[in-house]
Amino acid sequence: MKCRFVILSCALIFLPIVLMSQPSSDALVSSCVLAAGENTTYLKDFRVQLPKAASATASPVYKANMYLMKNMKYRFSVCDAPGSKGELVITIFDQGKELISSFNKGTGKKFGSIDFICNKTGLYTLWYGFSNGEQGSGVGVVSMIK
Amino acid sequence: MTGIISKLFALILLISVCSCRNSVTKQGNLNFPIADSVPAGESEKLSDEAIADIVQNIASPVEIAAILQSMNVPFSAEFLTTTQGADRLTTNFQKAMMMGIYGADLGYLNMYEKTGNSVDVLSTIKRLADGLRVGQYFDFETLKRLSVNKSDLDSLLFLSVNSYNKIDEYLRENGRGSISALMIAGVWVEGQYLATQVVSDHPDKILRDLIGEQKIILGDLLMLIRPYRESSADYASLYNKMEKISVSYRDVRITYKLGEPETIEQDGRLVMIQHEESNVEMTDEQLMKIADLSKDVRNKLISGK
Repeated sequence: MKCRFVILSCALIFLPIVLMSQPSSDALVSSCVLAAGENTTYLKDFRVQLPKAASATASPVYKANMYLMKNMKYRFSVCDAPGSKGELVITIFDQGKELISSFNKGTGKKFGSIDFICNKTGLYTLWYGFSNGEQGSGVGVVSMIK
Repeated sequence: MTGIISKLFALILLISVCSCRNSVTKQGNLNFPIADSVPAGESEKLSDEAIADIVQNIASPVEIAAILQSMNVPFSAEFLTTTQGADRLTTNFQKAMMMGIYGADLGYLNMYEKTGNSVDVLSTIKRLADGLRVGQYFDFETLKRLSVNKSDLDSLLFLSVNSYNKIDEYLRENGRGSISALMIAGVWVEGQYLATQVVSDHPDKILRDLIGEQKIILGDLLMLIRPYRESSADYASLYNKMEKISVSYRDVRITYKLGEPETIEQDGRLVMIQHEESNVEMTDEQLMKIADLSKDVRNKLISGK
Protein backbone atom coordinates (compact mmCIF):
# COMPACT_ATOMS: atom_id res chain seq x y z
CA MET A 1 0.00 0.00 0.00
CA LYS A 2 2.78 2.39 1.00
CA CYS A 3 4.59 1.55 -2.23
CA ARG A 4 1.52 2.46 -4.36
CA PHE A 5 1.17 5.70 -2.43
CA VAL A 6 4.84 6.63 -3.04
CA ILE A 7 4.49 5.87 -6.78
CA LEU A 8 1.28 7.91 -7.03
CA SER A 9 2.83 10.84 -5.15
CA CYS A 10 5.94 10.74 -7.33
CA ALA A 11 3.79 10.66 -10.47
CA LEU A 12 1.78 13.66 -9.30
CA ILE A 13 4.91 15.60 -8.40
CA PHE A 14 6.86 14.84 -11.56
CA LEU A 15 4.03 14.86 -14.13
CA PRO A 16 3.82 18.67 -14.29
CA ILE A 17 7.62 18.84 -14.66
CA VAL A 18 7.48 16.39 -17.58
CA LEU A 19 4.61 18.36 -19.14
CA MET A 20 6.44 21.62 -18.69
CA SER A 21 9.56 20.24 -20.37
CA GLN A 22 7.60 19.88 -23.64
CA PRO A 23 7.76 23.02 -25.74
CA SER A 24 4.74 25.28 -25.24
CA SER A 25 3.06 26.87 -28.24
CA ASP A 26 4.69 30.19 -27.19
CA ALA A 27 8.12 28.55 -27.41
CA LEU A 28 7.27 27.13 -30.82
CA VAL A 29 6.14 30.56 -32.01
CA SER A 30 9.40 32.07 -30.72
CA SER A 31 11.51 29.53 -32.60
CA CYS A 32 9.40 30.03 -35.72
CA VAL A 33 9.87 33.83 -35.46
CA LEU A 34 13.62 33.26 -35.28
CA ALA A 35 13.49 30.90 -38.26
CA ALA A 36 11.80 33.64 -40.31
CA GLY A 37 15.15 35.39 -40.55
CA GLU A 38 16.90 38.53 -39.37
CA ASN A 39 15.43 40.95 -41.88
CA THR A 40 11.88 40.39 -40.69
CA THR A 41 9.57 41.83 -38.07
CA TYR A 42 6.96 39.67 -36.36
CA LEU A 43 3.33 40.59 -37.02
CA LYS A 44 1.02 37.72 -36.16
CA ASP A 45 0.90 34.04 -35.43
CA PHE A 46 -1.65 31.31 -35.92
CA ARG A 47 -1.55 28.22 -33.74
CA VAL A 48 -2.84 25.20 -35.60
CA GLN A 49 -3.89 21.82 -34.26
CA LEU A 50 -5.76 19.50 -36.58
CA PRO A 51 -6.95 15.89 -36.42
CA LYS A 52 -6.20 13.24 -39.02
CA ALA A 53 -8.40 13.44 -42.11
CA ALA A 54 -11.44 11.19 -41.94
CA SER A 55 -11.24 10.56 -45.67
CA ALA A 56 -8.65 11.13 -48.41
CA THR A 57 -10.74 13.85 -50.02
CA ALA A 58 -11.51 16.00 -46.98
CA SER A 59 -8.39 17.07 -45.10
CA PRO A 60 -9.07 19.36 -42.13
CA VAL A 61 -7.85 22.92 -42.53
CA TYR A 62 -7.53 25.93 -40.27
CA LYS A 63 -8.72 29.08 -42.05
CA ALA A 64 -7.94 32.65 -41.11
CA ASN A 65 -8.64 35.91 -42.85
CA MET A 66 -6.05 38.64 -42.88
CA TYR A 67 -5.76 42.02 -44.54
CA LEU A 68 -2.53 42.36 -46.46
CA MET A 69 -1.42 45.78 -47.52
CA LYS A 70 -0.09 47.02 -50.81
CA ASN A 71 3.61 47.92 -50.89
CA MET A 72 4.41 45.51 -48.08
CA LYS A 73 6.46 42.35 -48.26
CA TYR A 74 5.25 39.55 -46.03
CA ARG A 75 6.87 36.28 -45.04
CA PHE A 76 4.58 33.39 -44.08
CA SER A 77 6.59 30.81 -42.15
CA VAL A 78 5.33 27.43 -41.00
CA CYS A 79 6.80 25.33 -38.20
CA ASP A 80 5.77 21.88 -37.00
CA ALA A 81 5.46 20.99 -33.34
CA PRO A 82 7.59 18.04 -32.16
CA GLY A 83 5.61 14.84 -32.51
CA SER A 84 3.46 16.22 -35.26
CA LYS A 85 2.78 13.50 -37.82
CA GLY A 86 2.08 15.78 -40.77
CA GLU A 87 3.99 18.76 -42.10
CA LEU A 88 2.25 22.11 -41.88
CA VAL A 89 1.41 23.68 -45.24
CA ILE A 90 0.08 27.17 -45.92
CA THR A 91 -2.01 28.12 -48.94
CA ILE A 92 -2.96 31.73 -49.64
CA PHE A 93 -6.25 32.54 -51.34
CA ASP A 94 -7.56 35.80 -52.75
CA GLN A 95 -11.34 35.85 -53.12
CA GLY A 96 -11.49 32.09 -53.43
CA LYS A 97 -8.65 31.87 -55.96
CA GLU A 98 -5.53 30.00 -54.87
CA LEU A 99 -2.49 32.26 -55.22
CA ILE A 100 0.29 30.14 -53.80
CA SER A 101 1.01 27.19 -51.53
CA SER A 102 4.11 26.21 -49.57
CA PHE A 103 3.61 22.69 -50.96
CA ASN A 104 4.03 22.12 -54.68
CA LYS A 105 1.72 19.24 -55.56
CA GLY A 106 3.43 18.77 -58.94
CA THR A 107 6.98 18.30 -57.63
CA GLY A 108 6.18 17.28 -54.08
CA LYS A 109 8.53 19.99 -52.81
CA LYS A 110 7.68 21.70 -49.55
CA PHE A 111 8.93 25.13 -48.48
CA GLY A 112 9.25 26.38 -44.91
CA SER A 113 8.07 29.83 -45.92
CA ILE A 114 6.49 31.95 -48.63
CA ASP A 115 7.55 35.51 -49.38
CA PHE A 116 4.62 37.52 -50.67
CA ILE A 117 5.21 40.84 -52.41
CA CYS A 118 1.81 42.43 -52.03
CA ASN A 119 0.51 44.92 -54.58
CA LYS A 120 -3.16 44.78 -53.72
CA THR A 121 -4.59 45.69 -50.35
CA GLY A 122 -7.36 43.32 -49.48
CA LEU A 123 -8.69 40.49 -47.44
CA TYR A 124 -6.80 37.25 -48.05
CA THR A 125 -7.62 33.83 -46.68
CA LEU A 126 -4.87 31.69 -45.21
CA TRP A 127 -5.41 27.95 -45.14
CA TYR A 128 -3.26 25.90 -42.83
CA GLY A 129 -3.34 22.12 -43.19
CA PHE A 130 -1.08 19.13 -42.73
CA SER A 131 0.44 17.17 -45.60
CA ASN A 132 -1.45 14.01 -46.56
CA GLY A 133 -4.22 14.94 -44.15
CA GLU A 134 -2.14 13.75 -41.21
CA GLN A 135 -2.83 14.75 -37.63
CA GLY A 136 -0.56 17.51 -36.46
CA SER A 137 0.10 20.74 -34.66
CA GLY A 138 2.26 23.67 -35.51
CA VAL A 139 2.37 27.41 -35.93
CA GLY A 140 2.21 29.79 -38.81
CA VAL A 141 4.01 33.10 -38.33
CA VAL A 142 3.39 36.18 -40.45
CA SER A 143 6.28 38.62 -40.56
CA MET A 144 7.02 41.78 -42.44
CA ILE A 145 10.18 41.79 -44.55
CA LYS A 146 12.16 44.97 -43.93
CA MET B 1 -7.45 3.78 7.92
CA THR B 2 -3.93 4.29 6.54
CA GLY B 3 -5.37 3.68 3.07
CA ILE B 4 -8.02 6.36 3.48
CA ILE B 5 -5.44 8.88 4.74
CA SER B 6 -3.15 8.00 1.84
CA LYS B 7 -5.95 8.48 -0.72
CA LEU B 8 -6.98 11.73 0.92
CA PHE B 9 -3.40 13.01 0.83
CA ALA B 10 -3.06 12.01 -2.82
CA LEU B 11 -6.32 13.80 -3.64
CA ILE B 12 -5.16 17.01 -1.93
CA LEU B 13 -1.84 16.75 -3.76
CA LEU B 14 -3.65 16.31 -7.10
CA ILE B 15 -5.90 19.30 -6.47
CA SER B 16 -2.96 21.48 -5.44
CA VAL B 17 -0.94 20.47 -8.52
CA CYS B 18 -3.86 21.19 -10.84
CA SER B 19 -4.68 24.49 -9.20
CA CYS B 20 -1.03 25.63 -9.50
CA ARG B 21 -1.16 25.15 -13.26
CA ASN B 22 -4.13 27.49 -13.53
CA SER B 23 -2.87 30.07 -11.09
CA VAL B 24 -2.51 32.76 -13.75
CA THR B 25 -6.22 33.45 -13.74
CA LYS B 26 -6.58 33.41 -10.02
CA GLN B 27 -4.32 36.16 -8.79
CA GLY B 28 -5.55 38.59 -6.20
CA ASN B 29 -8.74 38.40 -4.24
CA LEU B 30 -12.09 37.04 -5.19
CA ASN B 31 -13.06 38.23 -8.66
CA PHE B 32 -16.64 39.01 -9.47
CA PRO B 33 -17.91 39.51 -13.00
CA ILE B 34 -17.74 43.15 -13.97
CA ALA B 35 -20.66 44.94 -15.53
CA ASP B 36 -19.50 46.53 -18.77
CA SER B 37 -22.80 48.36 -19.31
CA VAL B 38 -23.68 46.13 -22.25
CA PRO B 39 -26.38 43.48 -22.00
CA ALA B 40 -24.97 40.00 -22.60
CA GLY B 41 -27.34 39.44 -25.52
CA GLU B 42 -25.82 42.33 -27.45
CA SER B 43 -22.54 40.54 -27.86
CA GLU B 44 -24.26 37.67 -29.63
CA LYS B 45 -25.31 39.70 -32.64
CA LEU B 46 -22.07 38.97 -34.47
CA SER B 47 -20.73 35.45 -34.55
CA ASP B 48 -17.46 34.70 -32.75
CA GLU B 49 -15.91 33.82 -36.09
CA ALA B 50 -16.96 37.13 -37.63
CA ILE B 51 -15.60 39.09 -34.67
CA ALA B 52 -12.32 37.16 -34.73
CA ASP B 53 -11.97 37.93 -38.43
CA ILE B 54 -12.55 41.64 -37.89
CA VAL B 55 -10.07 41.72 -35.02
CA GLN B 56 -7.44 40.02 -37.15
CA ASN B 57 -8.09 42.45 -39.97
CA ILE B 58 -7.53 45.74 -38.23
CA ALA B 59 -4.27 47.12 -39.59
CA SER B 60 -1.43 46.68 -37.19
CA PRO B 61 0.18 49.91 -35.94
CA VAL B 62 3.45 48.09 -36.53
CA GLU B 63 2.77 48.06 -40.29
CA ILE B 64 1.90 51.76 -40.26
CA ALA B 65 5.10 52.55 -38.32
CA ALA B 66 7.09 50.37 -40.76
CA ILE B 67 5.77 52.40 -43.70
CA LEU B 68 6.74 55.63 -41.90
CA GLN B 69 10.22 54.25 -41.31
CA SER B 70 10.58 53.23 -44.95
CA MET B 71 9.76 56.85 -45.86
CA ASN B 72 12.51 58.01 -43.47
CA VAL B 73 9.95 59.85 -41.35
CA PRO B 74 11.66 60.62 -38.04
CA PHE B 75 10.10 59.53 -34.77
CA SER B 76 8.02 62.22 -33.11
CA ALA B 77 6.93 62.02 -29.48
CA GLU B 78 4.36 64.73 -30.25
CA PHE B 79 2.12 62.14 -31.86
CA LEU B 80 1.92 60.08 -28.70
CA THR B 81 -0.99 60.31 -26.30
CA THR B 82 0.05 61.61 -22.91
CA THR B 83 -0.15 59.10 -20.11
CA GLN B 84 -1.02 61.81 -17.61
CA GLY B 85 -4.55 61.49 -16.38
CA ALA B 86 -4.82 57.82 -17.26
CA ASP B 87 -5.21 57.04 -13.56
CA ARG B 88 -8.30 59.21 -13.41
CA LEU B 89 -10.22 57.14 -15.96
CA THR B 90 -13.21 55.68 -14.20
CA THR B 91 -15.37 53.77 -16.65
CA ASN B 92 -14.52 50.53 -18.40
CA PHE B 93 -15.39 52.27 -21.66
CA GLN B 94 -12.65 54.86 -21.15
CA LYS B 95 -10.13 52.31 -19.88
CA ALA B 96 -10.63 49.95 -22.82
CA MET B 97 -10.54 52.73 -25.41
CA MET B 98 -7.34 54.16 -23.93
CA MET B 99 -5.80 50.72 -23.72
CA GLY B 100 -6.20 50.43 -27.47
CA ILE B 101 -4.80 53.92 -28.05
CA TYR B 102 -1.76 53.26 -25.85
CA GLY B 103 -1.34 49.87 -27.56
CA ALA B 104 -0.92 51.62 -30.92
CA ASP B 105 1.55 54.06 -29.33
CA LEU B 106 3.48 51.09 -27.96
CA GLY B 107 3.72 49.62 -31.48
CA TYR B 108 5.00 52.96 -32.79
CA LEU B 109 7.57 53.25 -29.98
CA ASN B 110 8.71 49.67 -30.45
CA MET B 111 9.14 49.96 -34.20
CA TYR B 112 11.30 53.05 -33.77
CA GLU B 113 13.13 51.24 -30.98
CA LYS B 114 12.32 54.01 -28.52
CA THR B 115 11.99 51.22 -26.04
CA GLY B 116 13.38 53.21 -23.12
CA ASN B 117 10.49 55.65 -23.53
CA SER B 118 7.93 52.88 -23.66
CA VAL B 119 8.14 51.92 -19.97
CA ASP B 120 5.77 54.72 -19.04
CA VAL B 121 3.27 53.57 -21.69
CA LEU B 122 3.70 49.96 -20.55
CA SER B 123 3.00 50.87 -16.91
CA THR B 124 -0.11 52.78 -17.95
CA ILE B 125 -1.38 49.89 -20.06
CA LYS B 126 -0.77 47.52 -17.15
CA ARG B 127 -2.78 49.74 -14.78
CA LEU B 128 -5.63 49.99 -17.28
CA ALA B 129 -5.55 46.22 -17.83
CA ASP B 130 -5.70 45.68 -14.06
CA GLY B 131 -8.63 48.09 -13.92
CA LEU B 132 -10.43 45.95 -16.49
CA ARG B 133 -9.44 42.81 -14.56
CA VAL B 134 -7.37 41.45 -17.43
CA GLY B 135 -3.97 42.47 -16.06
CA GLN B 136 -2.96 38.82 -15.62
CA TYR B 137 -2.67 38.52 -19.40
CA PHE B 138 -0.37 41.51 -19.79
CA ASP B 139 3.17 40.31 -19.19
CA PHE B 140 4.34 43.66 -17.84
CA GLU B 141 7.54 42.54 -16.11
CA THR B 142 8.93 40.75 -19.17
CA LEU B 143 7.91 43.56 -21.50
CA LYS B 144 9.50 46.11 -19.19
CA ARG B 145 12.71 44.08 -18.99
CA LEU B 146 12.86 43.75 -22.78
CA SER B 147 12.22 47.47 -23.19
CA VAL B 148 14.76 48.63 -20.62
CA ASN B 149 17.43 46.29 -21.98
CA LYS B 150 16.59 47.30 -25.58
CA SER B 151 16.31 43.62 -26.35
CA ASP B 152 15.37 42.29 -29.72
CA LEU B 153 12.36 43.84 -31.39
CA ASP B 154 10.71 40.56 -32.36
CA SER B 155 10.46 39.39 -28.75
CA LEU B 156 9.01 42.73 -27.73
CA LEU B 157 6.47 42.77 -30.54
CA PHE B 158 5.59 39.13 -30.00
CA LEU B 159 4.93 39.66 -26.30
CA SER B 160 2.99 42.88 -26.88
CA VAL B 161 0.80 41.36 -29.60
CA ASN B 162 0.45 38.13 -27.62
CA SER B 163 -0.68 40.02 -24.50
CA TYR B 164 -3.31 41.96 -26.45
CA ASN B 165 -4.47 38.80 -28.24
CA LYS B 166 -4.86 36.94 -24.94
CA ILE B 167 -6.82 39.82 -23.43
CA ASP B 168 -9.05 40.00 -26.51
CA GLU B 169 -9.65 36.23 -26.44
CA TYR B 170 -10.40 36.23 -22.71
CA LEU B 171 -12.82 39.15 -23.02
CA ARG B 172 -14.72 37.61 -25.92
CA GLU B 173 -14.87 34.19 -24.26
CA ASN B 174 -16.29 35.77 -21.14
CA GLY B 175 -19.07 37.72 -22.80
CA ARG B 176 -17.17 41.01 -22.67
CA GLY B 177 -16.74 41.43 -26.42
CA SER B 178 -17.90 45.04 -26.12
CA ILE B 179 -14.72 45.87 -24.17
CA SER B 180 -12.59 44.05 -26.71
CA ALA B 181 -14.26 46.01 -29.54
CA LEU B 182 -13.30 49.27 -27.81
CA MET B 183 -9.68 48.18 -27.55
CA ILE B 184 -9.62 47.40 -31.26
CA ALA B 185 -11.27 50.72 -32.09
CA GLY B 186 -8.69 52.53 -29.95
CA VAL B 187 -5.81 50.87 -31.81
CA TRP B 188 -7.30 51.88 -35.15
CA VAL B 189 -8.10 55.48 -34.12
CA GLU B 190 -4.52 56.09 -32.92
CA GLY B 191 -2.94 54.39 -35.95
CA GLN B 192 -5.15 56.46 -38.26
CA TYR B 193 -4.25 59.64 -36.34
CA LEU B 194 -0.55 58.86 -36.68
CA ALA B 195 -0.78 58.20 -40.43
CA THR B 196 -2.94 61.25 -41.18
CA GLN B 197 -0.75 63.59 -39.12
CA VAL B 198 2.43 62.47 -40.84
CA VAL B 199 0.97 62.70 -44.36
CA SER B 200 0.57 66.49 -44.15
CA ASP B 201 4.36 66.93 -43.87
CA HIS B 202 5.28 63.84 -45.89
CA PRO B 203 2.77 63.52 -48.74
CA ASP B 204 4.06 60.17 -49.92
CA LYS B 205 1.89 58.11 -52.28
CA ILE B 206 2.36 54.93 -50.24
CA LEU B 207 1.10 56.67 -47.11
CA ARG B 208 -1.77 58.29 -48.99
CA ASP B 209 -2.77 54.86 -50.31
CA LEU B 210 -2.56 53.39 -46.83
CA ILE B 211 -4.92 56.07 -45.51
CA GLY B 212 -7.28 55.66 -48.48
CA GLU B 213 -7.42 51.90 -48.02
CA GLN B 214 -8.58 52.34 -44.43
CA LYS B 215 -12.01 52.83 -46.04
CA ILE B 216 -12.29 49.03 -46.22
CA ILE B 217 -11.04 48.44 -42.69
CA LEU B 218 -13.24 51.18 -41.22
CA GLY B 219 -16.26 49.39 -42.67
CA ASP B 220 -15.31 46.30 -40.68
CA LEU B 221 -14.72 48.33 -37.55
CA LEU B 222 -18.16 49.90 -37.76
CA MET B 223 -19.61 46.42 -38.09
CA LEU B 224 -17.79 45.45 -34.88
CA ILE B 225 -19.12 48.41 -32.87
CA ARG B 226 -22.63 48.51 -34.37
CA PRO B 227 -24.14 45.80 -32.12
CA TYR B 228 -23.30 47.85 -29.02
CA ARG B 229 -24.34 51.32 -30.17
CA GLU B 230 -27.69 51.27 -28.45
CA SER B 231 -26.32 49.89 -25.21
CA SER B 232 -25.08 53.20 -23.82
CA ALA B 233 -24.54 56.85 -24.71
CA ASP B 234 -20.76 56.25 -24.84
CA TYR B 235 -21.06 53.53 -27.46
CA ALA B 236 -23.59 55.56 -29.46
CA SER B 237 -21.27 58.56 -29.43
CA LEU B 238 -18.29 56.45 -30.52
CA TYR B 239 -20.30 54.89 -33.33
CA ASN B 240 -21.44 58.31 -34.57
CA LYS B 241 -17.87 59.62 -34.51
CA MET B 242 -16.58 56.65 -36.50
CA GLU B 243 -19.47 56.91 -38.92
CA LYS B 244 -18.55 60.54 -39.61
CA ILE B 245 -15.06 59.42 -40.62
CA SER B 246 -16.64 56.72 -42.76
CA VAL B 247 -18.82 59.32 -44.52
CA SER B 248 -15.70 61.36 -45.33
CA TYR B 249 -14.40 58.27 -47.17
CA ARG B 250 -17.54 57.92 -49.28
CA ASP B 251 -16.07 59.40 -52.46
CA VAL B 252 -12.67 57.75 -52.10
CA ARG B 253 -12.46 55.12 -54.84
CA ILE B 254 -10.45 51.93 -54.75
CA THR B 255 -9.93 50.35 -58.17
CA TYR B 256 -8.20 47.14 -59.19
CA LYS B 257 -5.93 46.23 -62.10
CA LEU B 258 -5.90 42.54 -62.94
CA GLY B 259 -2.71 40.52 -63.32
CA GLU B 260 -1.46 36.98 -62.79
CA PRO B 261 0.93 36.32 -59.89
CA GLU B 262 4.53 35.39 -60.64
CA THR B 263 6.25 32.74 -58.54
CA ILE B 264 10.01 32.30 -58.31
CA GLU B 265 12.43 30.41 -56.10
CA GLN B 266 15.06 32.67 -54.57
CA ASP B 267 17.80 31.48 -52.18
CA GLY B 268 15.76 28.40 -51.40
CA ARG B 269 12.67 30.43 -50.59
CA LEU B 270 9.43 30.56 -52.48
CA VAL B 271 8.64 34.14 -53.55
CA MET B 272 5.38 35.38 -55.02
CA ILE B 273 5.15 38.71 -56.78
CA GLN B 274 1.60 39.87 -57.14
CA HIS B 275 0.81 41.65 -60.40
CA GLU B 276 -2.79 42.40 -59.54
CA GLU B 277 -2.87 45.93 -58.12
CA SER B 278 -5.17 48.06 -56.04
CA ASN B 279 -5.21 51.80 -56.61
CA VAL B 280 -6.64 54.54 -54.46
CA GLU B 281 -8.27 57.58 -56.00
CA MET B 282 -8.43 60.31 -53.37
CA THR B 283 -8.20 64.06 -53.80
CA ASP B 284 -6.18 66.35 -51.52
CA GLU B 285 -9.42 67.82 -50.20
CA GLN B 286 -10.78 64.38 -49.35
CA LEU B 287 -7.52 63.48 -47.61
CA MET B 288 -7.54 66.72 -45.65
CA LYS B 289 -11.12 66.15 -44.52
CA ILE B 290 -10.31 62.59 -43.44
CA ALA B 291 -7.21 63.81 -41.57
CA ASP B 292 -9.09 66.59 -39.78
CA LEU B 293 -11.93 64.30 -38.75
CA SER B 294 -9.55 61.55 -37.62
CA LYS B 295 -7.67 64.06 -35.46
CA ASP B 296 -10.88 65.47 -34.04
CA VAL B 297 -12.26 62.04 -33.14
CA ARG B 298 -8.99 60.91 -31.57
CA ASN B 299 -8.62 64.12 -29.52
CA LYS B 300 -12.20 63.88 -28.29
CA LEU B 301 -11.72 60.27 -27.27
CA ILE B 302 -8.51 60.89 -25.33
CA SER B 303 -10.10 63.85 -23.54
CA GLY B 304 -13.12 61.72 -22.63
CA LYS B 305 -15.60 63.77 -24.71
